[in-house]
This record gives sequence, structure tokens and C-alpha cells, in this order.
Amino acid sequence: MDQIVQKTAAEAAWLEAGGGLAWLETERAKAAQSFARTGLPNRRLEDWKWTDLKRLIDGAYPPLADGKGDGAAVDTLIAALPFGGLAATRLVFVNGRFDAGRSRIADENGVEIVPLAAAEQPHWVKATGMEDDPVDALNLAHLSDGAAIRVAAGTAAAGAVELCFVAAPGAAATVTTRNVVVVEEGAALTLIETHLGNATAHVANSVTEVHVGKGARLDRVKLQRDDVASIHLANLVAGLGAESILHDFTLTVGSRLTRQQGFIRFAGEGATARIAGAYLLAGRQHADTRLEVDHAVPGCTSRELFKCVMDESARGIFQGKVVVRPDAQKTDGKQSSHGLLLSPTAEFDAKPELEIFADDVVCGHGATSGEIDEDQMFYLRARGIPEDEARSLLVAAFVGEAIEAVENEALRDALTDMAARWLAEHRRSAA
Amino acid sequence: MLEIKNLHAKVEGEDREILRGLDLSVKAGEVHAIMGPNGSGKSTLSYVLTGRDGYEVTDGSVAYRGEDLLEMEPDERAAKGIFLAFQYPVEIPGVATMQFLKVALNAQRKARGEAELSTPDFMRLVRERAGKLGVAQEMLKRPVNVGFSGGEKKRAEILQMAVLEPALCILDETDSGLDIDALKVVADGVNALRSPDRAMIVITHYQRLLNYIVPDFVHVLSKGRIVRSGDKSLALELEEQGYAAYAEEAA
Repeated sequence: MDQIVQKTAAEAAWLEAGGGLAWLETERAKAAQSFARTGLPNRRLEDWKWTDLKRLIDGAYPPLADGKGDGAAVDTLIAALPFGGLAATRLVFVNGRFDAGRSRIADENGVEIVPLAAAEQPHWVKATGMEDDPVDALNLAHLSDGAAIRVAAGTAAAGAVELCFVAAPGAAATVTTRNVVVVEEGAALTLIETHLGNATAHVANSVTEVHVGKGARLDRVKLQRDDVASIHLANLVAGLGAESILHDFTLTVGSRLTRQQGFIRFAGEGATARIAGAYLLAGRQHADTRLEVDHAVPGCTSRELFKCVMDESARGIFQGKVVVRPDAQKTDGKQSSHGLLLSPTAEFDAKPELEIFADDVVCGHGATSGEIDEDQMFYLRARGIPEDEARSLLVAAFVGEAIEAVENEALRDALTDMAARWLAEHRRSAA
Repeated sequence: MLEIKNLHAKVEGEDREILRGLDLSVKAGEVHAIMGPNGSGKSTLSYVLTGRDGYEVTDGSVAYRGEDLLEMEPDERAAKGIFLAFQYPVEIPGVATMQFLKVALNAQRKARGEAELSTPDFMRLVRERAGKLGVAQEMLKRPVNVGFSGGEKKRAEILQMAVLEPALCILDETDSGLDIDALKVVADGVNALRSPDRAMIVITHYQRLLNYIVPDFVHVLSKGRIVRSGDKSLALELEEQGYAAYAEEAA
């Protein structure tokens, strides 16, 4: 078997570590072998050309052995969770372990929730490993916990379910979680994922697998506000049944290095996926989103919209690949990504990729990158709005177009508010 | 209220002066029309007075209520009561007109040391002013100027003026792009704001607007300076004879 020859400190620490979940032993062993073969990706791989993990993860982050961490730091994080009482059910994971005492679970018919760390798992919980994806391989190899959620056929979950991942491990370590979400035929769920970290240089590895059944709908909102010293590696893996709907929105504010991947596969005809996101980055933050939308069947619609704001020397990246397979006629796929650069040293890179093998399709993509519009700035200032406030207003308006994709009004308002306050807050803390 | 003395200005990085020794004195309660051909410096004057980046004052002074206006940032000038109705109002996607008005009004109040207006009080104020100008509530929910017709944009400018209640209004070619009905609505809105405490500078190429906003003084701007001043009859004379005579006078 091929093995990587020269291991980095990060690779060595991960290869030597044990861990993982007992009921997933087969998948764990396979994943560990896969990682031993691939190691971390470097820039010579096209999909990783802007985010060379081998070089960027420059230290050892062994899996965190116990989840307790510093109690005071954890309490501070819990108090800072932004969505308050918005979700009826809130599962809190502290340093990668379910914390029952800090969680609340609304009793709702047809909604079943199980921590993945439980020794016995219901039949519907499966973790489907991916071929040769290092993030997924590391996830299965070192998984400590996460949520399995099932919404039974025909059930429209009344309240949103929020999964909060708070991390304050106190040492350079990896916190690995995974969620398995099954929305059965005709069911509906709003899922919130909040990632919050505090004063820790850790690696968060987070995978969410979703299965949206025929005619079902999943609205997912993810907020990534890990500490700016941390590294965030995340995958969304979605399988969409016929006439199902997936609305996904991610706001990325945290971490020094973020790599988010979305693998969206249409498995049944007439389904719709709207994947939107926004970045608010500063300092030397680096965030890279890569989406792969697989139109494997006819008549599906995909929309991708990313609005990325970079201040100082931050770097935002968006890579969107749309594959339309030979049978997938009547595919409607559109993708756009826009960068707003607030400083001469900020950078935005976008790469659309279309692989179209069917002939009766409508597909398009667009990418722009620019600065704050001086005419707009003058107009606002001529009305008495001070320069900083005017700039904040324009930043919030820019990402607002992506936040619009969130249909839950309370969630949308909370995200809009975060965007409106971001510029002033980060510039104040930098000053 | 406003004393402009020997004002010289140019576009930053260019040699040619656009304003070349402009003098103008405006007192509270007065309406001054500034007329001139294209390229005479009309828009430059409005931008220099409101502090737009990219213009450089090379000589002269502008005093506003005894203070040096040229030292102030654009938002300071606005808070002190200067308002420019733009010739081309700028579209701001993602910012609702109502939100924009509220942020602007409260920023000005804050700068003046006044308490911010509560949301209900603000809503009441805007509804009342919008009603008078025939601005629909639906328009206030739309992003600033996005998808507005030419007439709607100009009406929205006058609404902003009515809400912000400035002391000195500068109307830059407010008549451009308006048909006669829209022009009347806008002019009525402006006339309703005339008061003994408020001054207006109406910049226009055509005399037409001045049938509806009747000025106390008319000035002819040519090649960067005021070459003739008179009462409203001067506007009619210009309408008849055109600007050709003045172009020569200034040369």
C-alpha cells in the first residue's frame, strides 16, 4: 500500500492517534487507511490549489482525549451563543462531546435525536465514508460525537433544531464531530449549526451528512465563529430525493483557516438546492469554500450565491463545480460569487467549473470582485452618515443579498445584525 | 448663511481650473438660481460645497454660518444643515429607503447632540412627509433608488430633504429627466420647504424649472465664475438669447 513518505507534524499526530467510535469500527479502519495513503492535500491537487493544508496546518493537533476543558472558558462561550431561545431544541457539544446538562430537547412527535457517541445506534444512523477525502477520513478516524436527527415521514418539525459546537480545549488539539440528518419523505426541518470557539488554537473537523427524502425539505443555517486562531475543516454531504428542497446558508466569520466543502447530489428528479454563503474576514484569515453539485438526474435546479467580504490581508476563495450528467436533461444550474475587498491587501479568488454532458440544460455562472463604491459612499456621507457607519452599512447590504436566502425571519434578522456590526467590532478590536 | 469668496477649484490631478474666482453670498430665506451652459462648473460647485473627494480647492474661501466649510467632512456638513439633491441619485442595493432615512436622520441628530428619534416617531414623520409628496409607502420599503423611475428618484431626493430639514439646500439639475407633471410635483415639494430660515441654491441649465421654483436671484455661471447676476427676469432673458453671449464675456 502507498504511504506518504515524509509526514508533517500534523499528519504524524493524526496517524498515530487512536479514537473514533466503536460502532463505526469498520468505517474508522477504512478511513484511517485512506488518510495513511493520501495524507493532507497540497496545492498540486487542483481542488486544493489555494488551500494547501499540508503547508498551512503547521503543527500537531492530536485528537482531544477528554472533553471537559476549562469550565470558565466554556461558560463564557455558552453565554455568547448568538441565537438564544430561537430553536426549540438545542444540543450543546462542548469540545466535541454532548453536554446533556447544557442542552434542551423539545419533545416532538416524529423527531428523533440521538448522540452519535451512544454505543447503540438506531438502524437509520449510517455514516457513509467518502473516497479519498482527507477531511472525511480524519473525521471518521477520530470522531468523538455529534447528533443523529431523524424527522419521520410527513412530519414538519415545528421548532428549529440547533446544534451548538463550542470549543475551548485549552491546548492545540483536534475536535471532531459529525451529524447525520435524515428528513424522510414529505417531512421538513430547520437545522441550525453554530460553531463557536474561544482563545484556542484548535482544529475543528465537522461533517454533516444529510438525506432529504422525496418531497421533503431541509433548511440549514450554519454560523462559523470559531476562534480566529483556530482551523475549521467542514464537509456538507447531501443526497436529495425527488422534488425535495435543500436551502443551505453558511456565514463564515471565524477561524484563521477555513475549508468548507459541499457535496450535493441530486438522486431524484425535480429537486431544488439553494446553497448560499457569506464571509466576513479580516486580519490574515483564509476561507475557502468548494462546492460540488452533481446533477445526476433530470429536471433539478441548483442555485449558488456567495458574497464574501475581506478586510486587511484576508483571503476569500470560492470554487463551485457543477456536473450535469448525460441523462440530466432540463437541468437548471446557476452559480455566482462576489468579493468585496475593503483593503488593498485583501484578496478574492473564484473558480467556477461546469462539466456538462447533457444538451438540454440552462447553466450559468458569474464572479465579480471589487471595492466599496465611492459614489455610494459619498451619497451616504452627504446625508450625514459618518464614514465608518456608511462603510458598515454597505458591507451589510452586500452580504444581505446572500442572507436573504434564509427564510426564517428571526434567524435572518440575527445574521443581518451580525453582519451590520462586524466591521466596527473587528476594526475596534484591531485598533 | 453662505459666503463664497474668490473660489478656485479643480479636479485632483488635473491642471485646468474649473472654478476660477467664484463669488456668491446667500442669506437665510433666499432662493438663488445658478444657470450656465454645460461645462461652466455647476456640478463642480455643488460637489465642492458638499465635500466630495476628488476636487481640490486651490484658492478662495467658503464660510457657512461663519465656519470654514472646506475644513469639514461631508457628513459634518450634512449634520450642520447642508443638503445636496443629486442630479443622479445613487442606487444602493440592499439598503431599504426607510432604513437609510432613519440611519441618516439619527446620525445627524447624534452629531448635533440631539436625542435619536424613536422608531414610532420616525415612522410618523416619514409617513407625513411622504404623504405630502405623494411618495407611496411601498417605495420606502424598496432599496434606495433601485428600480426607481427618474421622477421617483427626484421625488425621493425631495423627501429626504423634507425629512432631514436642512438649512441650505443645493438642488443640482433637479429638473433633468423629468416630464412636466413630475417637475410640478417636485417643485411643489421644494416650495413647501421654503422658509425664512432656509436658503436654496437651484442649479439648472434650463429656465423651465424656475417657472415653478421662483428665485429671488439669478446668477449666470460661465467658465467657472459668476458673470452676471439679476432677478428672475434674467432667467427669461437667457431662455430667449441662450448662453452664447456669456461664453464670450468670460473669455
